[in-house]
Amino acid sequence: MISGMALIPEHVRAQLKARFDLRLSGPVHLTLYTRPGWSRLILPAGVGCATCEDARQMADLLKDAAPEKVTLDVVDTSRDPGRASADGVDDIPTIAIGASTEAGQIRFQGLPTGTEFPALIDAVERVSRAEHDLSPASLADLAKLSEPTEVMVFATPT
Amino acid sequence: MSLANRMALASPQIRALCVEANEFPRLSAEFGVRGVPHTVINRAGAFVGALPERDFVAAVLDGAGIPVEESPGAGGPSTEFSG
Repeated sequence: MISGMALIPEHVRAQLKARFDLRLSGPVHLTLYTRPGWSRLILPAGVGCATCEDARQMADLLKDAAPEKVTLDVVDTSRDPGRASADGVDDIPTIAIGASTEAGQIRFQGLPTGTEFPALIDAVERVSRAEHDLSPASLADLAKLSEPTEVMVFATPT
Repeated sequence: MSLANRMALASPQIRALCVEANEFPRLSAEFGVRGVPHTVINRAGAFVGALPERDFVAAVLDGAGIPVEESPGAGGPSTEFSG
């Protein structure tokens, strides 16, 4: 249900739907790790989740823009802390993006607004199209990785 | 962050994690984030700034402890890799 969404204007949702209609080909699975209701709680800094509700709206936005291709699994970490741990998710809100129903390996921790929003959209489209666009030389180098490797990128909305 | 995501799509060994720095100040402080994009490989080596694809891949391999051949343009003025 996105009709009451305040975070994303109506014209942006319409643009996203039109864009996904053109650019998505295969399935995309989103997993949102969150704590529903925690946005309304007044808690000490670092304990609450001020952006969990907005993250849910953003995940719903992506799903509703192409419901035939994008699926969404919402994990309530207060009820299922073991799931987040098993999936290697440290904090909330986190949105994981993958092609299958397993937890995706492209993740956004925190609310991806501002400059991070285009990266989120790009990630959904690339997963759907299995399109990384890396050079053969880069692929050859990445094939040398024999252990799980985390690439953590700190970004800000502006 | 797009390059990190693309690498995660290309390699089953890579997980890309984009962190909203303002929202997680403790994590940002832990990794000494003072400018963005600030990229940390395996929670150890880090560099600041946007890199061309080949340099980014080289930095990831370096952070993972894999020897890499010197790439033209690596180590530009906005880039400092520290492990």
